[in-house]
Amino acid sequence: MNTSLMYSPLATFLIVVACNSSTKNETAGQPVPLGDWEAPDVEISTLNFDQMPFKKLSEYGFFKGKIREFDPGNGVLLYEPVSSLFTDYAFKTRYIWMPEEASATIQDDPEGTFDFPEKTVLVKNFYYPADFRKPSEHIRVIETRIMVKKDGTWQAFPYLWNEEQTDAHYKAVGAEVPVNWVDDQGQEQLLNYIVPNQAQCKSCHNSEEVMVPLGVKAKHLNHDLPGKENQLIAWEVAGYLEGLKPLHEYPAMVSYNDTSSDLELRAKAYLDINCAHCHRAEGPASTSGLFLNYEETDPAKLGVFKTPVAAGFGAGSFTYAIWPGKSDESILTYRMGTNQVGAAMPEIGRGMVHSEGMELIKAWIDAMPEESFQHLSADK
Amino acid sequence: MQKINASLIFVGLLLSASILLSCQGSSSERSFDSSKLPRAGQEEIDRLIEAFIFAEDGDTIAVPAGFYNLKTQLILDNKKDVTIKGAGMEATVLSFRELKSGGEGVKLVGQNITIENLSVEDAPGDGIKSQHCDGITFRKVNVTWTNGDKSKNGTYAIYPVQCKNVMIDACIASHSKDAGIYVGQSENIIVKNSLAFGNVAGIEIENSDNAEVFGNTARDNTGGILVFNLPGLPKAEGRGTKIYDNDIISNNHVNFATALNEQPNGNTVTQIPPGSGLILMAAKEVEIFNNRIHQNKTVGIAISNYQITGFPADAPNWSPFTSDIYIHDNDYKRSVQLPDLTKEFGQLIAVYNAHGKGKTQDIIYDGFWDKRLSPDIKTNPMNVCIRETDMSQLHFTLFDLWDGEENIKSSKDYAPFDCQIDIHTNVRAISNR
Repeated sequence: MNTSLMYSPLATFLIVVACNSSTKNETAGQPVPLGDWEAPDVEISTLNFDQMPFKKLSEYGFFKGKIREFDPGNGVLLYEPVSSLFTDYAFKTRYIWMPEEASATIQDDPEGTFDFPEKTVLVKNFYYPADFRKPSEHIRVIETRIMVKKDGTWQAFPYLWNEEQTDAHYKAVGAEVPVNWVDDQGQEQLLNYIVPNQAQCKSCHNSEEVMVPLGVKAKHLNHDLPGKENQLIAWEVAGYLEGLKPLHEYPAMVSYNDTSSDLELRAKAYLDINCAHCHRAEGPASTSGLFLNYEETDPAKLGVFKTPVAAGFGAGSFTYAIWPGKSDESILTYRMGTNQVGAAMPEIGRGMVHSEGMELIKAWIDAMPEESFQHLSADK
Repeated sequence: MQKINASLIFVGLLLSASILLSCQGSSSERSFDSSKLPRAGQEEIDRLIEAFIFAEDGDTIAVPAGFYNLKTQLILDNKKDVTIKGAGMEATVLSFRELKSGGEGVKLVGQNITIENLSVEDAPGDGIKSQHCDGITFRKVNVTWTNGDKSKNGTYAIYPVQCKNVMIDACIASHSKDAGIYVGQSENIIVKNSLAFGNVAGIEIENSDNAEVFGNTARDNTGGILVFNLPGLPKAEGRGTKIYDNDIISNNHVNFATALNEQPNGNTVTQIPPGSGLILMAAKEVEIFNNRIHQNKTVGIAISNYQITGFPADAPNWSPFTSDIYIHDNDYKRSVQLPDLTKEFGQLIAVYNAHGKGKTQDIIYDGFWDKRLSPDIKTNPMNVCIRETDMSQLHFTLFDLWDGEENIKSSKDYAPFDCQIDIHTNVRAISNR
């Protein structure tokens, strides 16, 4: 294999992305015309779960007709966490399905973790509109990930969409897909989107080495969908939640996009959904002692004057995860701001810097008065 | 570490001398050249990725000879009794040079896992990481970086963390920007008959219990073998390490953990002075014996406490002090090279040792101790015992750094530390892994 030939197009992508270039790039080629194929109706409750994963997404019946339009099948319910993981600016839609007569309960823990019944299915679509200023037009779906609870454990299956956008095929080994779009500022963007391999799902969906869903907890869902009611209520109405107590008894995270919310809560909401799946006591990054979940209140565990453990070059030229008041000298923002594999955080799912997220975390760190944390520093 | 400004002029002179003598080694040595191997096709590569994804308990994943250019991670997810078997270190090469995302090339989780007879090259982060394993064996595994430019090398080569019952046998780890063989937050550990060269740290045991490190060669690293306890980790502190029958030779490699023109960052390893044989830091219950500690230009064995890093030294269930140490029956050969002057720790040793400026030291003790235990280090409150034959011929320095950089004192007096203690380890249960 000639590696130099393979390197150059990738390098071009990276340069274009890095420079946030507004020049048109011709390498993405002409789009393939959309297909007209419509999926036959499938009743999800009749599926044989033992035979999953199916070869094609259309076989599940999650979406009807032209499945790229995400017209939900029987019992398929849209939901949305209040704050969402950054995945290279991909748009996402999420759906849940449960069998008749089955429902989840909310456990009595600080996050409001759900206890899901057997055969619960979570579906998540990743797509890019051609122009982010017209988010419902000219959509290109890249991948759909589904999580199924069977035999008491969750399993995850990635599906890669075809170019005609008629269906997606089960693809365990992952893929790379060039994607381009015009962003909110009218700038052309180009990216080599990485579809993770199936085993990488557990890099994030992991609590004590058991696969778990992430966004379906009370703290993420205890809020209204735009123009609709609170999602916990919506789930209860759909029959997907039982034993629901008054909503104020459940935790509720803020939206990190909501500039009317407290800066610290927004920053911690961002860190929770983007980092805390690993950076928590039960997660794979517990090795670091850096815990970034919303419930964490110990500044030392959140990274204030905390030296790294196994960060290697991920530490850049910096000493502490967070140096209060000095976002430009904090490892946290350094790792959010680099695309170098091995240093970039999160480790997977990001090939671009989330500049809006960076600004939020920087503002939070810069607003920390250093003297308030002097007791944690070396020169106390 | 505290700044040592008073010595700057002298340091400057020494530095010029050292540049003239070119005492900073570097190494681009390779165990073998993988570029001649036949390239595995995309189908074979996909088959390998799938073999990891779909592995079941009891499987053997045989990886035929060839050079595998992997763009995604190989992850074994929480399986039992799985063996990953290459056709030989020089025959099966997993290259992660083009890995697009992920913190390590290979990740192994589960019970009773073995990986053997293969090489891993050029992972952007760590080479092979095993986490939450109970029973993990690395045997005849070679992990390296082939870049001429070491600034692009990854962090750890062989990296078990939060594991129980770890065997690392007949492995080679080279050119990592942090530690070649790094065992962290684990218990019951053997590292034997392995070779670590050209790394910043050769072999490191960190926040781990019950480890034996023997029969290894650690050469041409910045520091040969390290036993550390770092603060603020889920496994707060480790204790019980024996280091014996190792060759710890010429660990004079330039410290490339940060770029040459950059100061150390928050990673402790960035402070290690080139020319360090063994370093203990906040270590507990360590016995070091029957090692050949030769030609390390700065110091053979450094007994140090976490205070020397200058980092915050408070953490729950953790002590910054090194305690219960027994060093005996090692063979020392000092280097004719000048000690390191690129790192503050090196400058301290080179300038302020008790045997004369620019003299390589065999053993140093930084002289911090827990003053709640005793007002005087001469009572040996931390239980640091050194009993080498012909102690009077060795360069031993006890520092006193309590009064700051302007008032560093040192002494040759080893008498307070002439004692012996029993260190307990027991790795019999894993010796047949």
